[in-house]
Amino acid sequence: MENQDRSTLEQIQEQFRRFPAPVADEFEKAQAKMPDNMEADSMVKWANAGVEIAEQTVRSWEAAAQYYKVSPQVISYMPFNYFMRWTQCGNDLCKESPTLATAYFEASPEAMSQLRSRHIEAWAALGNSLYKGTWKSSTLACKFFAYSPALMESLTFPELERFVSFLDALSHRSYDLAAECLALGQQIFPLIGDDKTAFIGLATALVDSGWREVKSFFESGAKALPKIDEDQRFRFLKIAERLVQGGGTNIPNVMLETSQALSEVDPEAHSRILTLSEALLEESPAAVPEFIKGCAQIMDRLSLAQVERWYEEGVNLLRQNPDGGLAFFKIESAHSESVLEALSSGVEFDRIKPVMEMYCRGLAGSEIKLAASEDLVSKGIGWVSSESPSTEGSTVFVPTLVDRYPSKDENFGWFKVVSTHQVAHLEFGSFSFEFDEPSTIFQDRRADLEKNKVEKERPEGEEQVEGEGLERAWITDMQRFFNLFEDRKLSLDIFTVVEDGRLDFRVKHEYPGIRAAYSVVQADSHKGRPEIESLPVREALVEFLVRLSLQQYDSIPAPLEYVEQAKQITDIARRVLDATSTVQDAAEATLRIYAIIAAIPNEEVPPEDWEDVDTDEEQQEEYTDPDEMEQLLQQLAEGMEMELRPDGESDYESSEEVEYRGDFKPELVQLLSQLRMQDGQSAGEADGQPITQEQLEELLQNSAELDFQAVEGDIQNSQGLFADNLLKEAGMNLPDNPEFGQGPFVHVDDDGDALEASEPQTFVYDEWDFRADDYKPRWCIVRQKTMQEGDPAFYASTLHNYGGLVSRIRRQFEMMVPETFRRQRKLEDGEDIDIDDLVEAIVDMKTGVSPSEKFYWRRNKIQREVAAAFLVDTSASTAEAIDEGKRTADDWDAPDDPVEYMVWLRTRRGEAARRSYKRIIDVEKEAIVLIVNALEAIGDVYGIYGFSGYGRENVEFYTIKELDEAFSDRVKRRIDRVAPLHATRMGPAIRHATSKLEKADARTKILFLVSDGRPQDRGYSREGVEKEYAVHDTRMALEEARRKDINAFCLTVDKNGHDYLGTMCADMGYEVLDSIFDLPERLLYLYRRLTM
Amino acid sequence: MTSPTRTLYRSYIIEEYQLTQEPYYVPVADEVELFEAAYAQKIPVIFKGPTGCGKTRFIEYMSYRLGQPLTRVKQNPSPGAPEAVRTDDDIMPLVTIACHEDLTASDLVGRYLLQGNETVWIDGPLTRAVKAGGICYLDEIVEARKDTTVLIHPLTDHRRILPVEKKGELLEAGEGFLLVLSYNPGYQSALKDLKHSTRQRFISIEFDYPPIDIEAEIVRHESGVDADVANQLAKLGGKVRNLKEHGLGEGASTRLLIYAGQLINQGIPPRRACQVAINWAVTDDHTVQRSIEELTTSIFE
Repeated sequence: MENQDRSTLEQIQEQFRRFPAPVADEFEKAQAKMPDNMEADSMVKWANAGVEIAEQTVRSWEAAAQYYKVSPQVISYMPFNYFMRWTQCGNDLCKESPTLATAYFEASPEAMSQLRSRHIEAWAALGNSLYKGTWKSSTLACKFFAYSPALMESLTFPELERFVSFLDALSHRSYDLAAECLALGQQIFPLIGDDKTAFIGLATALVDSGWREVKSFFESGAKALPKIDEDQRFRFLKIAERLVQGGGTNIPNVMLETSQALSEVDPEAHSRILTLSEALLEESPAAVPEFIKGCAQIMDRLSLAQVERWYEEGVNLLRQNPDGGLAFFKIESAHSESVLEALSSGVEFDRIKPVMEMYCRGLAGSEIKLAASEDLVSKGIGWVSSESPSTEGSTVFVPTLVDRYPSKDENFGWFKVVSTHQVAHLEFGSFSFEFDEPSTIFQDRRADLEKNKVEKERPEGEEQVEGEGLERAWITDMQRFFNLFEDRKLSLDIFTVVEDGRLDFRVKHEYPGIRAAYSVVQADSHKGRPEIESLPVREALVEFLVRLSLQQYDSIPAPLEYVEQAKQITDIARRVLDATSTVQDAAEATLRIYAIIAAIPNEEVPPEDWEDVDTDEEQQEEYTDPDEMEQLLQQLAEGMEMELRPDGESDYESSEEVEYRGDFKPELVQLLSQLRMQDGQSAGEADGQPITQEQLEELLQNSAELDFQAVEGDIQNSQGLFADNLLKEAGMNLPDNPEFGQGPFVHVDDDGDALEASEPQTFVYDEWDFRADDYKPRWCIVRQKTMQEGDPAFYASTLHNYGGLVSRIRRQFEMMVPETFRRQRKLEDGEDIDIDDLVEAIVDMKTGVSPSEKFYWRRNKIQREVAAAFLVDTSASTAEAIDEGKRTADDWDAPDDPVEYMVWLRTRRGEAARRSYKRIIDVEKEAIVLIVNALEAIGDVYGIYGFSGYGRENVEFYTIKELDEAFSDRVKRRIDRVAPLHATRMGPAIRHATSKLEKADARTKILFLVSDGRPQDRGYSREGVEKEYAVHDTRMALEEARRKDINAFCLTVDKNGHDYLGTMCADMGYEVLDSIFDLPERLLYLYRRLTM
Repeated sequence: MTSPTRTLYRSYIIEEYQLTQEPYYVPVADEVELFEAAYAQKIPVIFKGPTGCGKTRFIEYMSYRLGQPLTRVKQNPSPGAPEAVRTDDDIMPLVTIACHEDLTASDLVGRYLLQGNETVWIDGPLTRAVKAGGICYLDEIVEARKDTTVLIHPLTDHRRILPVEKKGELLEAGEGFLLVLSYNPGYQSALKDLKHSTRQRFISIEFDYPPIDIEAEIVRHESGVDADVANQLAKLGGKVRNLKEHGLGEGASTRLLIYAGQLINQGIPPRRACQVAINWAVTDDHTVQRSIEELTTSIFE
């Protein structure tokens, strides 16, 4: 029997000769590995099956070889009957395509480890289903088998089936895409958790609606899903699916964005947000992504319940006006912001900035600016906490959002206290510390200490040379003061507390109204403070001082052993709490308290060795240093304080700052102001020698105010960086910094000349979204710059060229100058009696008729009070040449000959004077010249501005002549430099001009808009209503002007102007010029008409 | 302190008036000496300064100090109005004329009025002051028409004459006559500046709000509030003035601070009093109002 089988086997082996060698080789290798207990019968069946496969077609021997190769592994996973079914599947596949079968066999060993035996056939069938007889489908099916093991690790079999059916569907569109998704799938499925069905379902849905997005969907899916709370992923995908069904586009991106948004929200809120989103789906699928994204923005300001109310408001709006609702959820409408503001209890810096900035200016009486702490941190000049309020001497920095209390009033109160405290630094002179200024309370010890210190540090035997004096080892007085101390950190902490305490007292004294809020904030600050008993002695005493300064006067724990010292500290610290004390007093107090604390070893104190100290006693007589103090100060002077300390004491660590007081960095502030002053002066007359980079870095290195650990990178580098940034910062506020003149967009005709220095002014304006029927708040930034100066000859030559017109216009305009006085008759009261009327009256009287008493006349002054702003479009399109008709062809057409072409090009690029053709902008410039000339004749107030820009962040507004600026040569020069720039965002430019006119003092105000086309800009549109959006915003801007009693008039040279000007100008005046050459004359004519 | 106008026209009333209290004025610098010196030499004077800082009070005070009886005549253009007519031209030592943009030369000099069947010449306030030899105080002079300002030129130099064109007269100014103008350089536009030919005929004394302690004393005296409140009012005034040029055209005047004090004295809560007397009085801008509100609530409990 066995022999028979063996002979059968041998017969079979014989047959292998018909096939290429690998078949036999693989068979033999496999045969050895096949299980020993395998029945011979089975062996034959196995061998035969291979032969059968190999026999099928020319190439099927490869499949057979592969079959033999994997058999030993496969059979280990299953009983023989299943094995044979597996074989049969391979056989069947081979009939379809040997390659497919090869892939099938190849993947099998790994796949079998995942696959239940009963799914073998189904699995093979899946692969088969992908195979459509084409080469590409075969590749896909092969890949499927290859990826199967990996896929099955994360997918259940039913999921795999769905996935394949998705691939199948996708393969109808693109095999390549299906193959890519297959490859991506194996990476992605492990990431997305338990909701693969939904994911695949969504993918399938996408195949129908936008199959090109499928791949990016896979990619983004992998990134998006992990960000969402695991339990909610399914719902998230369902929503996404609904969006797809609802015709949403760019779903992958939406998924990415929304998931990103969700990831910024507390995961516990996901469920609620998704529930709302599901409800919102019923209203408007398009609003859902916006809603989710909006949620992320507002969650830090609103509680979940408030979000729901915000949501409801949005849904209501959505029902009335879909676009408005959309803008609402995008938080791009004023309404949305006001709802948010009303709902939120938090106080946002942005909203109250104008009020608070003015408040701070009022308090301090100087040009204080208010900014967010983040800004200060990002300057990289030593401040690191973006939450803490602070000041660097000219700007007060505050947190962007205050949401500490449940009500808005309380939050605002906190904000106000915080700002007031920071302003107090400036108002009550924290930074005006002068080393040599005497204290008003204490005996001055600073100078003595310094002298001793210096003497001690001088190398032995070296005599001080008379007259040369000490080398100035400090830059600022504050630095000089801190140089006295060995432990700078401790001294800075003490000084901070004492000075802050002084300011708090002063504020409460000067501003009784804020006392209540201040006390609340102070009381709340106690909560966050560390337990005194848990601190080592020195830190405990500093904390003791902090409590004192927060006006806690009873039951402050102090170490039993040092109660006396605590009382001394109290005595000293409280003396500074006086309405007349100065920063010098705080410094002297610091000196003494430091002497006391520094002499105490920084040891832990057992919990029982503490005693509560009541400090609520008034001190009476003037302060004199007790004897011990003399001693302590003596030690200090000798730099002994450190040496006296026992070994093993812990280093002094700063305690946390008191939150509402924020960061106090007197050394840096003094340094900054000194740097600024130095930069402000011209190099020659600077007082003393300039500060060197080395000095600066030394200061920074020693200063306890910089926490280099908080900054990444090595210390050397960050010092240098700080120094650089500080110098930059100091230079920032220079009035003549050329940096400001030149925006990111450079003049097209720029010759590289430095712009005339102008105020670094930017202005923010809303934009009207007509579809949402609401403003987009603070949407555009107008950057106002002064036009560069060019050649004044342009002005003269234009006047010359227009000679006849100029004199005619001038005459017409001079006639407009009103007669200053006009005689008005028949008044009850006036300058004098009008004889005619009087005679009449007397005749009436004589004849017994009641006479008219109106027989006076007076001259009434008619004042011409006109302020006009001319807004000239300097967009790129104004560079277009004007077809004059008479021009010869050579003038215009580019020559074919390369040499000639270069010459032609050069002339084209040459100066305007040499340009042989005119551009629209040239005519605009000429019009400006003429109008300037004419207006100078009648003395109207006028301003001329050019505008252009690119994008809403960059609306450029060029001043050629300010309203209140006198006409001068500079204006002439500026006109010369008017040149085509970028796009035409009219709205913000009009708003800016309006705000200028608004300030002008005139009875008639006119805004003239000269343009060459419709408004357009990047992002100045909305989907589907590209053109209307810009037109409507412009219309609204003009409407706003009209509401402010400004008469607006649009003049355009765009022949298609009638299409949109009707909408844009509504009931305002506009005119479309037939020919650009009419512009100068027409402009003047219209001006006359409008102002008569 | 000032009695009703009509009783002042009788000579004995003016005598009486001289006996009444001296107008309350706290000198801030050397303005009193300067004015006395100018008056002695008959050099015309311009007062410059923001509204409500005490210019008018100062001229009243000076006219009292210089032993001048004081008379106020509100410039009254109506010919039939008895107040303007019923005056005895001889006694008119201080004439205050509030200028406005329709003020004409004849409003100052005089005009013919119809009375019954004949016209009667009525002297204008300037003419009266010239005749009486008193101080003529033209308040807010830049508001007046240019032709008006030219009219005063001959009065300000060595000639000291007033041409009365319609009557064909030249009036020589009385011994004690002095022309004093006031104007507020703050809110005049370039259009309404004083001509150089005019302004260079005067010496200028600049006024500003008094320093905080003096202002507190003034507020205390004028409104009757206690020193603490007066101090706080003065402090608030200072803070509000800091906002000038930042959305505020003109700072809160001493006059407004006094008003606030008077309201407080009448029992109005301080915050409310400041709101109506200071905050809402100085600005309509909502943001500025809120800022001042915050300043007020910081200072007053």
